[in-house]
Amino acid sequence: MQHLHNASVLSRLPMLLFIAWRNIWRNPVRSILTISALAGGLIMVILYASLLEGMSRQMVKFATEISTGHLQIHRQAFVDDQDLYATLPWSYMTRIEQDIPGIHVAPRLYAAGLASTRDTSNGVLIKAVDPEREPQVTLMLDHVRSGQIEFGPASPSAEGLPRDNVVIGAQLAKNMQIGQGSELVLVTQAADGSIGNALYRVAAVLKPLEPNFDRMGVLMSIKSFQQLMYLEDGFHELAIKLNDPTALETVQVELREELKRLVQQQPLDELSGAPVVRNWRELSPTLADMLELSNTFLLIVGFIVVGLASLGMLNTMLMAVHERTHEFGILLALGMKRRWLLLMVLLESFFLALVSALVGSLLGVLIAGYFEEHGIDFSDSMPDGYDWAGMVFEPVMTAYLQPYDVVYASVLMILITLLASLMPSWRTVRLKPAEVMR
Amino acid sequence: MLVPKAAWRKTGMAAVLLPLLFAAFPAQGMEVEELIRHIDRLWRGETSHATMSMTVKTRRYERTMTMEAWSRGKDYSLVVIREPVKDRGIATLKVEENIWNYLPKINRVTKVPASMMGGSWMGSHFTNDDLIKESTFEDDYTSQISFEGERDGKAIYEVTSLPKPDAAVVWGKVVMTIDQQSLAPLQALYYDEEGALVRTLSFEQHEQIEGRTIPMRLSLQPEDKPDESTVIVYHDIEFGVPLEESFFSLQNLKQRR
Repeated sequence: MQHLHNASVLSRLPMLLFIAWRNIWRNPVRSILTISALAGGLIMVILYASLLEGMSRQMVKFATEISTGHLQIHRQAFVDDQDLYATLPWSYMTRIEQDIPGIHVAPRLYAAGLASTRDTSNGVLIKAVDPEREPQVTLMLDHVRSGQIEFGPASPSAEGLPRDNVVIGAQLAKNMQIGQGSELVLVTQAADGSIGNALYRVAAVLKPLEPNFDRMGVLMSIKSFQQLMYLEDGFHELAIKLNDPTALETVQVELREELKRLVQQQPLDELSGAPVVRNWRELSPTLADMLELSNTFLLIVGFIVVGLASLGMLNTMLMAVHERTHEFGILLALGMKRRWLLLMVLLESFFLALVSALVGSLLGVLIAGYFEEHGIDFSDSMPDGYDWAGMVFEPVMTAYLQPYDVVYASVLMILITLLASLMPSWRTVRLKPAEVMR
Repeated sequence: MLVPKAAWRKTGMAAVLLPLLFAAFPAQGMEVEELIRHIDRLWRGETSHATMSMTVKTRRYERTMTMEAWSRGKDYSLVVIREPVKDRGIATLKVEENIWNYLPKINRVTKVPASMMGGSWMGSHFTNDDLIKESTFEDDYTSQISFEGERDGKAIYEVTSLPKPDAAVVWGKVVMTIDQQSLAPLQALYYDEEGALVRTLSFEQHEQIEGRTIPMRLSLQPEDKPDESTVIVYHDIEFGVPLEESFFSLQNLKQRR
């Protein structure tokens, strides 16, 4: 008996599916409206997911490729308060380069100084890079607003004094009203306590990369820096780019061990503390936190949007069930099992959700694809991009669509709408045929 | 990012310090007024010409510079570095609240902007503001004799200066000890706004010069760095030299090297 019964459910399923499908189209306008609402919600979720992913990717790209690199090495005292004397010996860099495969390194030096022109003065951050190595690690030197990246000796000043080329931040250039070809005086306290001072020529102005550099950055070659600062025995910062970014943790551990060996072989002075290796997540913690959070955001927003859309579904199904109570009563009176009736209503909801998912995914992918191609351009209102978490981002928002985002969003939507349709379906179960047929 | 600790100012503080610290007590209460008037009379409009050396000791280096300095009252001073060779000819001109530097290597005069006043002076433990604030001490602080009597076997006045409510000041309190007899300063204690001692300026090796008692050695000891200090020693100081205001000009700044 039980066996027969089961067989009959299976044999009736195609029929139920067929009836459910036909039922949807008994009121095509209402169904299409419901489908539009659900599909619209899904499109929003897909777009939101892809824009968020695009932004995350842009952020990670900026965080690593523009100026930070994947990993950085400093002395502890430099991390704490930018101690001028907290350098690592040059031999460390050579050894790290030799011993660790799959990386590119770029050394940097920093100092505070005062930049002056004939008319204005401004406190500046002097940053020195190796013009050969820097491009292998970051794109910093590609972000030129005007002029041409040049380091080393420039044309002498009007009265024949030697000058070196420097590159400066855009905001600094604006504040000091200087540009390519302008002369700049830098005065600072050199490492030996003397007064470091020299003449420079502005070779180029960089686009905004990080707010600090943009406002007060003066970039020069390490050679020029050493002549100004009398600080020759080492570097403050080693930026490292990995050929394989997924090996971040492994390389970080390798570097720590390498540094331990190096410290044993060639001890450092005690004043400036131990070498510290940090990855970009540790270097830009705000950004890392934000990326962690973005998936949670996505889920919450997804729930809200789909939840709202599924209220439409709830309404549709309530209406559908309500206007068909008479019909359901007849079906029950004819001997249709209540659970099949329930199943049929649920199937109707499922079909609505499925069609919505298909339409929504298709349109969502198309629109996201468009934004992936073209991006949303804010450069009219924010020509210099926006700065956030200590980095400056491009004013163009590009989507990045991940297939599993579409699948997740669709499944999420179908589940929520099925949940929403439980209430109307339950009403069919509790119908009393005798009453409703009256 | 980096804290500017540099010497944008190769300045004439030492030359200024001496006359100005004396003149720095505006009055409150009868006795202070008298004291101030006396000191004021001694120093107002006074000119000086001195040679001195400054030794800066930090964890990283110890460095001695020889300087020549001219001053007129507390608003004008000019200092030129004579030694070491690397810094020779670097000069600083202070006129009221403006400071210019002359850098002979690049033959440029640069004006120190307001934003850079907080940095260290010549790599020493004096701040750039020390130079400027000397001029406005009277306007920014009210002083009172907080102790009068014997201390360490010497009759002294202790003058406590507190900032006026709306003054933009660096120190929360300055306590100065002055010898009653010679009216020469002995010690100045500088406190921050929380009332913690930040640094101690000691005046030592007092000598009689032209009827005045002058401390020939000034040493500044920052409270948070016990192993560091800045010491200024006067080799030679003359008062009443003929120096007009026009001497303290940008033109002279360049020529005095």
